Amino acid sequence: MKERKKQGLAVILIFILLFSIPLLFLFTKKEEYSTSERRVLKELPKLSFTTIKKGEFGRDMEEYFLDHFPFREGFRTLKAAVSTGIFGTKTENGLYEKEGYLVKMEYPIHQEMIEYAVNKFENIYESFLKEKGSQCYFAIIPDKNYFLADKYNMLSIDYEEFYRFFQEEISWAEHIDLREVLTLEDYYKTDTHWRQERLEKVAFLLGEKMGADTKAVYKKKKIEMPFYGVYAGQWSLPVEGETMYYLTNSVIEDCKVTSIEGKKNREQKIYHEEKFTGKDPYDLFLSGPQAIQIIENSRATSKKELIVFRDSFASSLIPLFVKDYAKITLLDIRYVQSNILDHYVEFKGQDILFLYSSFILNQAKALR
Amino acid sequence: MKRSLPRKASFLEVKMVFSGIPFLYFFMPIFFLLYYLCPKSGKNSLIVLFSFLFYGWQEGRFLLLMMGIIVIGYSFGIFLEKSQNIFLRKVLITAAVTLYLFILGYFKYSNFFWENLKNIFSLEGKIAAVVLPVGISFYIFQMMSYNIDVYRKNCRAQKNIITVAAYISMFPQLIAGPIVRYKDIEQQLISRKHSINQTYVGMRRFIMGISKKILLANQLGECCSMFSQRGESSVLFYWIYAVAFMLQIYYDFSAYSDMAIGLAKMMGFELMENFNYPYTSKSITEFWRRWHISLGTWFRDYLYIPLGGNRVSFIKWIRNIFVVWFCTGFWHGASWNFIFWGLYFALFLIMEKVLFSKNGKKERKKDMLSHVYVLFFVMISFILFDAQNLKAAADNIVGLVGIGCDLIVGKESLFYLRQYGMVFIFSLLGISSFGKNIVKKGIFLLTGKKQVIELEMAGMIGLLLISSAYLVDGSFNPFLYFRF
Repeated sequence: MKERKKQGLAVILIFILLFSIPLLFLFTKKEEYSTSERRVLKELPKLSFTTIKKGEFGRDMEEYFLDHFPFREGFRTLKAAVSTGIFGTKTENGLYEKEGYLVKMEYPIHQEMIEYAVNKFENIYESFLKEKGSQCYFAIIPDKNYFLADKYNMLSIDYEEFYRFFQEEISWAEHIDLREVLTLEDYYKTDTHWRQERLEKVAFLLGEKMGADTKAVYKKKKIEMPFYGVYAGQWSLPVEGETMYYLTNSVIEDCKVTSIEGKKNREQKIYHEEKFTGKDPYDLFLSGPQAIQIIENSRATSKKELIVFRDSFASSLIPLFVKDYAKITLLDIRYVQSNILDHYVEFKGQDILFLYSSFILNQAKALR
Repeated sequence: MKRSLPRKASFLEVKMVFSGIPFLYFFMPIFFLLYYLCPKSGKNSLIVLFSFLFYGWQEGRFLLLMMGIIVIGYSFGIFLEKSQNIFLRKVLITAAVTLYLFILGYFKYSNFFWENLKNIFSLEGKIAAVVLPVGISFYIFQMMSYNIDVYRKNCRAQKNIITVAAYISMFPQLIAGPIVRYKDIEQQLISRKHSINQTYVGMRRFIMGISKKILLANQLGECCSMFSQRGESSVLFYWIYAVAFMLQIYYDFSAYSDMAIGLAKMMGFELMENFNYPYTSKSITEFWRRWHISLGTWFRDYLYIPLGGNRVSFIKWIRNIFVVWFCTGFWHGASWNFIFWGLYFALFLIMEKVLFSKNGKKERKKDMLSHVYVLFFVMISFILFDAQNLKAAADNIVGLVGIGCDLIVGKESLFYLRQYGMVFIFSLLGISSFGKNIVKKGIFLLTGKKQVIELEMAGMIGLLLISSAYLVDGSFNPFLYFRF
């Protein structure tokens, strides 16, 4: 074939590629939600004189194109393969993979964030807890980076400094160091969260310090479908699914769970297996993110009550606490203003546990 | 913990640039389909239509401004040619240049002047911040050169306003150059040839450009952003930043020029080269012959030579150099660090001419030290270029020798050196013809041929897909030269 013909063929092939993408874009169904990224995808922007004049239309259209690009997941995988394989980058979308675990490289300590968190907790203590004589406990859940960063020369927050900061600043609570009992194997490989079936030791440590009996016998139930955590989608490269288990017994099953949403109350359960197939499989535990939830156990071994200020990690741990508490109130101040908590909760000297992951504390602006 | 201000590039909005999905997969194929189907007589109109769409997409509110400048430049061209009176011609060209400089001054420099007046005279109050229209520095300079060339009778005035509009608004070079002279493409604007070979070569150049931008410049930009968010103050990190930014600005800008030249070639235009391996220079003088060539030659032809160039007394020559480099620096941005950046080069150019030239004609001897000298001082210049203010520039420069640092090498800097190590290696291979020659020799060894179209084709498709993948995955796609 003459050079000219070959060049012509190359031009045609590249134009076919350039045309096929917009054609596929036009004729394929647009998804509303990205399961792998767990976010709502951009909608077609409105065309108006104002949006064009301000340049908003162009910007929004670009985002729309990117969100609905044909074979988007395939392209993301290609990018990750080139990035790690050819450019040898150590992280992909802020994640790295070591020993089979996908880990977010949280770094550095965001000083303004952790100070913000301390102020928030301090206000809660001063407003609702101090006068009531509550016994307060504070525990930080380390992220997976704690276990792997040093070993593989990845960056991490200075955990000693991080823990010391909260210990010194939150002097009104007793600090319980969960690092004593946690190991890397206690976390899901593809998710941020810890595995409930390995948390009895955590519940025991907390219970021991808080004077609560957490020892119980559980049935370990397996979810038959594979679990892909939040990092699996962000990582873009193929990963194996994991097995999710949950611990239950008749006491847990008999608990009454109420979610308080404004003036409405909604009855729930501790475990919702059907939520496993929803947007976030971890919602199986206590239905996922909720502003205020109350767990009542009529078969509790005491009349004690517990209030937990928490993030999503607590959803899988708290069911292991129900044995000794007649009532547990879970407060997630990412979804409810902390200064109006007394509108929903009566503070009367209950045990108080602040249980937060290092992630949330280092990104504490989400706390309201 | 060290925290710098965010890098300037991070303030840039996402726009329809060549290295964006809307351009690549919607605008470009549709344009070229229509362009190749369109009869010759309609091609310029199509260019204007699509260029307005391209500009309006990102700067809808400034489309009228660009149209206005086209009408003004076109009219001045006609008047200048019709007028035979020398005095009137001088009045006309003075009016035209003054008007262009006023427009540029208002949109680009009014905030700067007001801030400085406030500081000098302790004034109070605010003026509404003036938004800089994308590409204004480029198209104003093009229009100015067109009118000056008509005034100098270097070219004829264009009677067809569509042709003038196509020259000014032509989207490949509209927002980031090269600064094309009307007289250089006058004939091509009227009649140009199209061939398969030209389209192929243009497409190859465009794909090389987009790959350089996305795979190298953007990643180097990420590395620089990591420096601005650093938690560690180490000498190594200052060096990583300085080298990364030096490479980023080269790949960013030269990639854009590659894309512009490639797209124009696909349309049948031959634009001037804008870069010629500038980091292989052995003197700063040579560097400026290889870096942003279209701007350098513009200032040479329309400012330096009219001022007398070097055919004047030594003192006047020094003045000419400082005037030209003050303007070069100021053209890059309305900020003191750009002015100092320009004057910094003026000093080197004078020094080289005085100290290293024999009879002012020969440059320094060629040796390794010359390369080190150029690379080091150009790197320092780009630290000044990138800084938010002079203090930040000074901090980043003295950091290279450890002043203000806590460490020589830290965990964070080592991590980012590993993280971007391959990007640095690929980037360094590409700053000279060395990398290109390795690829060529490899192909020759494998196939016994100098050029294998099939391999090139596979490479082009591969690079296009990989670049698309990077675009789809992320939105980190700033372009440094948008500020100008």
